[in-house]
Amino acid sequence: MTDDLPLSPLDEDDALAAEYVLGVLSLADRSAVEARLKNDTAFAARVLAWENRLAPLNDDYADVPAPDLLPRIEARLFPVAAKPARRPLFGWLAGALTAAAVVIGAVVLLAPAAPPPIVATLGETDASLRFEARFDGQALTVTRVAGSAAPAGQVQQLWIIAPDAAPVSLGLLEGETLAVIYPEAPAGWTLAVSVEPEGGSPTGAPTGPVVAAGVITDL
Amino acid sequence: MTEEDPVAELLFRVAAQDRAAFRDVYSRTASKLLGVLLRILGNRAEAEDALQEVFTRIWLRAGRFDATKGRGMTWLIAIARNHAIDRLRARPDDSLRDSADELDHVRDTSPTAENRLIALGEAGRIAECFATLEPDRAEAVRGAYLNGLSYIELAARFDVPLNTMRTWLRRSLLRLKECMEA
Repeated sequence: MTDDLPLSPLDEDDALAAEYVLGVLSLADRSAVEARLKNDTAFAARVLAWENRLAPLNDDYADVPAPDLLPRIEARLFPVAAKPARRPLFGWLAGALTAAAVVIGAVVLLAPAAPPPIVATLGETDASLRFEARFDGQALTVTRVAGSAAPAGQVQQLWIIAPDAAPVSLGLLEGETLAVIYPEAPAGWTLAVSVEPEGGSPTGAPTGPVVAAGVITDL
Repeated sequence: MTEEDPVAELLFRVAAQDRAAFRDVYSRTASKLLGVLLRILGNRAEAEDALQEVFTRIWLRAGRFDATKGRGMTWLIAIARNHAIDRLRARPDDSLRDSADELDHVRDTSPTAENRLIALGEAGRIAECFATLEPDRAEAVRGAYLNGLSYIELAARFDVPLNTMRTWLRRSLLRLKECMEA
């Protein structure tokens, strides 16, 4: 048997890609693989090859008639279409919901040259970790102004939280700055930063500790 | 893309923000994806919740789908499996999940699944290659893929140390690959 011989480095990569596709890894190992997938195209190709290789097994998954969850999915993705803003008083709320949808199309921009006004400060003035959020009419830019990035294997993730709503991810603060296209700086909403496994929260909601938060104020 | 792939066509339209195409993707694939999620998560309410998250990701990521590298349905199932497995692994009691029933279920359904694969010709290759593995190792690979079993669960189920399980599985996977490329 050859079972005790070590694998060659390429076989190691291929075995890791296969383990990831198979799903046997721990959450931490999965997060590490997902982080690597973003930058290592050769490794990403190995994962894709394994997905294709094992795809015939998908025939074994039986159909389970699904209820029509589209209205709920669309309300999450396209809130404006789902709730026409007929009542002016609720325009603000509709705007809030739109904002959640806009996040979906979020695009990372380069930080603008002249700093636009600060709309929120995340963390107390003397906190060891502090962020500032600025809004230039098109994009929300959040910058870490004190403290450092998350330790290795973890990442800081930015969330926006409308009143009485679930947090919506704005992206990962891998560098010092994250800019997200946003239609407005919705006053009264909360911006928060949590610490998540590498690659971001696996569940779509914050899973780690919130390390800084602040409420958006009127310009 | 040599064969017809209607799901891939729809995904191109979804990438261009076509909501009607998104609805079509849902009606064509939601039952299959719910089947995937339910089998891995084992809980109807959680599977339906996961299905919403999966379709949110499909809308967001459709632009990354590359039809030259795989079929639309394969891509969708990969999103569903990855999300379901992440949820499983994030459960505090993940390692304690009882896996015996699930593996029995795999064993029960394997013959039909394999016959179906053989009938598919090219796809039958994977069934032939599974047949070249020791039966318990083939079962471990299938159980992991279909039910989302972790190394810890597999080691407990087959009553071997974790490292032995890992060596088994990695060797089996590489042999499967060699066989499929032969």
